[in-house]
Amino acid sequence: MTVAPSPRFRINRHRRLAWIGSFVGIVLSLVGMALCWLNPTIRAPLKPGLDFTGGTQIQLERACDNSCGGLTTSQVQQQLAVISLPPEPGSRSPNLSGSVVQLLDGGRSLTLRVPALASEQSKALVAQLEAQIGPLSPAGTAINTIGPTLGSQLLRSSVISLLVSFAAIALYITFTYSGVFAFLALLCLAHDVLFTCGAFAWLGLLAGVEVDSLFAVALITVAGYSVTDTVVVYDRIREQKKTIGDLPMVQQVDVAVDATLTRSLYTSLTTLLPLVGLLLFGGSSLFWFAMALSIGIAVGSWSSIGLAPTLLPVLSRR
Amino acid sequence: MARQQGWFALILALAIAAGALVASFGLQLGLDLRGGSQLTLQVLPAGAIRSVDHEQLEAVKEVLERRINGLGVAESTLQTVGNDQLVLQLPGEQDPTRAAKVLGSTALLEFRSQRPGTEREMANLLPLKRQAEAVLASRQPRPQPVNGQASPPSPKVDLSAEDLAKALRGLGLTVPAGSSEADQLKLLLDAVNQRIVALYGPTAIAGKDLVTAGRQQQATGNNWDVTLKFTPQGGDNFAALTQAIAGTGRVLGIVLDGRSISEATVGPEFKSAGITGGAATITGNFSADEAHDLEVQLRGGSLPLPVKVIEQRSIGPSLGAENIRTSLSAALAGLALVAVFMVVVYRLPGMVAVLALSLYALFNLAMYALIPVTLTLPGIAGFILSVGMAVDANVLIFERLKEELRSGNTLIRSIDTGFALAFSSIFDGHVTGLISCAALFFLGTGLVKGFAVTLAIGLLLSLFTALTCTRTLLRLLMTYPALRRPTYFLPARQLPSAVA
Repeated sequence: MTVAPSPRFRINRHRRLAWIGSFVGIVLSLVGMALCWLNPTIRAPLKPGLDFTGGTQIQLERACDNSCGGLTTSQVQQQLAVISLPPEPGSRSPNLSGSVVQLLDGGRSLTLRVPALASEQSKALVAQLEAQIGPLSPAGTAINTIGPTLGSQLLRSSVISLLVSFAAIALYITFTYSGVFAFLALLCLAHDVLFTCGAFAWLGLLAGVEVDSLFAVALITVAGYSVTDTVVVYDRIREQKKTIGDLPMVQQVDVAVDATLTRSLYTSLTTLLPLVGLLLFGGSSLFWFAMALSIGIAVGSWSSIGLAPTLLPVLSRR
Repeated sequence: MARQQGWFALILALAIAAGALVASFGLQLGLDLRGGSQLTLQVLPAGAIRSVDHEQLEAVKEVLERRINGLGVAESTLQTVGNDQLVLQLPGEQDPTRAAKVLGSTALLEFRSQRPGTEREMANLLPLKRQAEAVLASRQPRPQPVNGQASPPSPKVDLSAEDLAKALRGLGLTVPAGSSEADQLKLLLDAVNQRIVALYGPTAIAGKDLVTAGRQQQATGNNWDVTLKFTPQGGDNFAALTQAIAGTGRVLGIVLDGRSISEATVGPEFKSAGITGGAATITGNFSADEAHDLEVQLRGGSLPLPVKVIEQRSIGPSLGAENIRTSLSAALAGLALVAVFMVVVYRLPGMVAVLALSLYALFNLAMYALIPVTLTLPGIAGFILSVGMAVDANVLIFERLKEELRSGNTLIRSIDTGFALAFSSIFDGHVTGLISCAALFFLGTGLVKGFAVTLAIGLLLSLFTALTCTRTLLRLLMTYPALRRPTYFLPARQLPSAVA
């Protein structure tokens, strides 16, 4: 019979701190999402991007070095207002006056967000704009048009696949551990997902960051990662019951968290390293994706160390 | 000992095979990485069909494939997605505009004759249609002159605002406030076309009665005609149709997708037998491209159900190349840091892990080449994440190994126990990951699917490399007495004095 080890770090001594931290974080997230919802220009818990709203996004690169004249967004908007688009049978010509124009790289490239255009119309728009601000580099052009139905489809399929994977994971944990463990794993997962959403709600409010379908992918990943992280602590508790016998749950948790603490921190660190690499050097298209994953993974290791194990004694006692 | 060498030989053989696979098959890059266009087409239910089933989707796909072949775009792929969608991918700098137009219309061609007793109404509608068309055409941006040859000046046609408003009111249309002239003209044209089609009798000949279609340039001007050749049955029907209206002044309408594209009268000389010969010409004043597109559509046949382009993405090749370059360098920089971290923290086993993880990356690439997986940006993200999980497996093992060493076990025993104890948590973590992947793959859409595939491959391979490669390499190294030093695993101060 082995003697019960005395952990160097007792997580249950700090559990109030962990709970308060999580509680404040969740409240802030909900406030952020509520503010987003109340914001007349957003009207959703998160600022939806092109993938969810539908529309056309045109990215252009001007083919000039330093010879390009300066360009302001209002100039581009004025030019957009006078552009005439070829008619499309069965639909009105779209109104371009509400377009969003963004300049990047000091006016060298620009992004336009306009109502959904037929492909001939976007071509005509680029051609007419080129006459004004050109020449443009055709290799640096990207045009995306998303119909409004596709966005809701994407949202639906993402939510369904997320819920199904939650249910399947909960079943697996109930089967291999117990129902309380599964409940807490799901609680942690909801915590991590909510936290990430909250962070992006604030980013949307303050910096205009939009969520796209990659964000949905990131949330799903955070959910999977959160469960994996929590399971490692569970596995340790299960193993301890065999080796050191019955201890009060509080002590069990303290020992298990202490034993897995290094691993949890190291793993988060090694997963964050490639993501930080993507944040620093990655293409612009993956920046916010890497950001969402980084936030989610950091929060995920917080909740798997501080939340799920400390709530376990509370729930198990009943 | 012999068992370790057997495993080692297997791993070596797998590594060589993986290298050969990647070298010979190469990797398929998605459009977001190499540039190109992607169109998503939604098949819409119509008529008696309430929901689209697999068979109907395949029928639509067959027609669209014939049209794509007619367009002559290189290396395009058309795939069905879910129950009612098709995705067309056009790599490189090919114009998606034409493809969207040609694929998006049903191309249901009908020949219908005007019903008797509607001559007066038709006589009012046809001039209005010609006028509206001419005004709309004159408002279009003129095509650039070719070879310095100026295009002929557009004829001076005009329809004053009052006349336009009068014509619209005459048809019982209300004009939305603030609509442009072009919008109003389109509204007028749509209404006129509807009225014209309403004057026609039932369909006498349809697209299925065609053998082939072609095009020819008109003798004067730059306009093109589309020529049609009927089946014997269709030819007979055409003769009967033309005979019935010959010399009456009523028109023969050619209706495409419910729009009247051409109206023609038949002269009295065809009264006796109708127009025979089983051929006809549509004189719709088409441009060369329009004539070609209609020809391709008619040859490919009409779609059994209408489709709608719901998504179009195109990305220039340099944007794609830039994305892959930056993402690759980012991933490699991050992984290099992970390698440094592993060696600093775990010493000898850390080096073994770096070697095993390099093999892991190679195996992943080989699986992408073998299956094959088309690599997209979300796919690369899935891969990076699975690397995180693979590293985690090694961290779990080595932390256990260290624990065993600290509690005074021998080196060889610590290694064995470390692997044995870490197994259950690695397994549970990977299984929950794979469960998510399965849900994402079967229920998610394209983007999410690509992510799920690379993550799932990564998780499966990570189970293999962490539990087999790392272990075999470590055990093999332990056969060299010089390497069997606990200080290669742990700093000396952490070791119990009995062992150190």
